[in-house]
Amino acid sequence: MTAYILRRLLATLPVMAVVAVFVFFLLRIAPGDPAAIIAGEDATREAIEAVRAKLGLDRPILEQFALWLWRLAQGDLGVSIFSNLPVTRLIGQRLEPTVALTLSTLLVAVALAIPIGVVAAWQVRKLADRLVMIFAVLGFAVPGFLAAYVLIYIFAVQLQWLPVQGYRPIAEGLWPFVEGLILPSVALGVTYMALIARITRASMLEVLSQDYIRTANSKGLATRRVLLLHALKNAAVPIVTVIGIGIALLISGVVITETVFNIPGLGRLTVDAVLKRDYPIVQGLILVFAAVKVLVNLVIDISYAFLDPRIRY
Amino acid sequence: MTAMNILEVRDLATHFFTLDGVVRAVDGVSFDLARGETLGIVGESGCGKSVTALSILRLIPPETSRIVGGSVRFDGRDLAALSEAEMRAIRGHRIAMIFQEPMTSLNPVLTIGTQIAENVVRHTGVPWRAALDRAREMLDLVKIADARRRIEEYPHQLSGGMRQRAMIAIALSCNPQVLIADEPTTALDVTIQAQILDLMLELKEKLGTAIIMITHDLGVIAETAERVVVMYAGRKVEEAPVEALFAQPTHPYTRGLMHAVPRLDADAEIAGRRPRLQEIPGIVPALNRPIAGCAFAPRCGFATERCRAEAPPLVSTSAGHAVACWETARVLEAA
Ligand SMILES: Nc1ncnc2c1ncn2[C@@H]1O[C@H](COP(=O)(O)OP(=O)(O)OP(=O)(O)O)[C@@H](O)[C@H]1O
Ligand code: SF4
Ligand SMILES: [Mg+2]
Repeated sequence: MTAYILRRLLATLPVMAVVAVFVFFLLRIAPGDPAAIIAGEDATREAIEAVRAKLGLDRPILEQFALWLWRLAQGDLGVSIFSNLPVTRLIGQRLEPTVALTLSTLLVAVALAIPIGVVAAWQVRKLADRLVMIFAVLGFAVPGFLAAYVLIYIFAVQLQWLPVQGYRPIAEGLWPFVEGLILPSVALGVTYMALIARITRASMLEVLSQDYIRTANSKGLATRRVLLLHALKNAAVPIVTVIGIGIALLISGVVITETVFNIPGLGRLTVDAVLKRDYPIVQGLILVFAAVKVLVNLVIDISYAFLDPRIRY
Repeated sequence: MTAMNILEVRDLATHFFTLDGVVRAVDGVSFDLARGETLGIVGESGCGKSVTALSILRLIPPETSRIVGGSVRFDGRDLAALSEAEMRAIRGHRIAMIFQEPMTSLNPVLTIGTQIAENVVRHTGVPWRAALDRAREMLDLVKIADARRRIEEYPHQLSGGMRQRAMIAIALSCNPQVLIADEPTTALDVTIQAQILDLMLELKEKLGTAIIMITHDLGVIAETAERVVVMYAGRKVEEAPVEALFAQPTHPYTRGLMHAVPRLDADAEIAGRRPRLQEIPGIVPALNRPIAGCAFAPRCGFATERCRAEAPPLVSTSAGHAVACWETARVLEAA
């Protein structure tokens, strides 16, 4: 197993290399001259050229690329064009809110969706199942930001139970931290909850009609054990896959969520950097996002081997 | 109820409620099972053998089917009157079942040890470790070598014959009084089939378990059963001690089964399986509408007007031998 994990880890390197090439050249061929933007609106031609030389933007593109790659290999993502601060530090500062929000959203979605899906499959075509299916359709149809505004209106503005927006770092105490995450997590999680609940139900339904479930029942096992061990473990692979896709979508979605809830995370950093054409930051962010997605994918793949002993590795 | 009988099935009727109408899968079946006895149930595919077995354990699919009549008494208790929780305490403990497909009947993601031990823990309450010891003991009992290693393995790591041995180990792990074996060897090749049947008989002697051996193969019946119930279209058409059945098969359907010739089935040959019995000419009647008269009439060489109009009652012909046929006298003469 260890060898398998190592092998899979090594296999991600070429993927990351391709991402790196893509990231670098995509931004170079995008319209807009960063030197002109940085120099300011009324800058003279000379001033613009001076900025270009200072940032190394005047050198051949392959040379720029080689240098960038060399630094990248050393964990150096460059410095921000505007603030002159190292990109790694800028990203590091914004990491906590994004990680916290992504994980808490996932936790809310998974912790509710799986039990809901299991019960729906167990009670198939009965009332509980019908309610779950209605929720699944609605939850999937309503965009996250709309849910967010509705939830903010009810729980923050009207009832005033929770803060309207903003983020409190965990260093300021656990409860303020959690309090701030509840609304965004629920708002963001509804879609994934609906999606995961649906997949859980479908996957469980298929498994529940299998012979080995009849065998489990012929042993007189408790319903709980039949559902949660015998059935759910067999149903897990598609569920885990969808959770993985959910994580990827969540990461892409932080831009919107962090804007709606005014959370100073990577999403906001992305928006700011893109608007200012702060190349090093944008490149760094895309690389980080890509690396996380590749890693999530890897974890999902490896989890298959744990969930299903028939999968060879 | 005589103290001899561990199980008494009376007029059992199980129906499926489908879009094509009510399927009378089991339509008034009665039989007894004595303690420690092996009863064979034989009949063509679709005659209601599995549904009978599942009805005894109340494991029929609740969304589509219901036991609409009759009773099942186990050790003096009416199983229909038990709560679901009480029924669960009986399943796997007092009455255990093994299924046709060892390939799909074991859970692919749980180890063999877990699948045996959970039954032991469920019904005896011993700690998990003790249950795993019991699992090893059971694997020794069903002659799976290297039990210590095997309990760690998953079903896909075992051959078909070994999987069925593991199923037997699960079923017998709590010393049930009744073992229902639903075509336990149909999916296995001939040599393995013989080994599994021998094993079941040996364990039956050792543990005193009564067995209901369900099969469509009269060869299996001849090798294992003491008494035989022949089913057709959801009903019992003949019942007899095994010697009597083979010496004097009386129902025309039973005779048809006996004269059925092994068909050379290319696929079965390749798989090394015993050739399936050639079905008797004609087709099994649809069970989704009431059958007037004898269900076998359309395929029966002895059929008369009365056969088509009126269902024949089960009549005793000699000790322990009963037949549901209007024309028994003519049939016996024809032999
Ligand atoms: N889920 C179901 N829905 C509708 N009808 C069913 C269902 N299961 C079984 N039946 C019907 O019940 C009848 C008896 O089926 P059963 O499985 O008991 O046959 P069997 O004697 O065990 O046959 P086989 O030798 O093929 O196992 C069949 O005619 C079948 O069509
Ligand atoms: S009752 Fe009639 S149709 Fe039925 S088996 Fe006997 S002879 Fe044949
Ligand atoms: Mg069957």
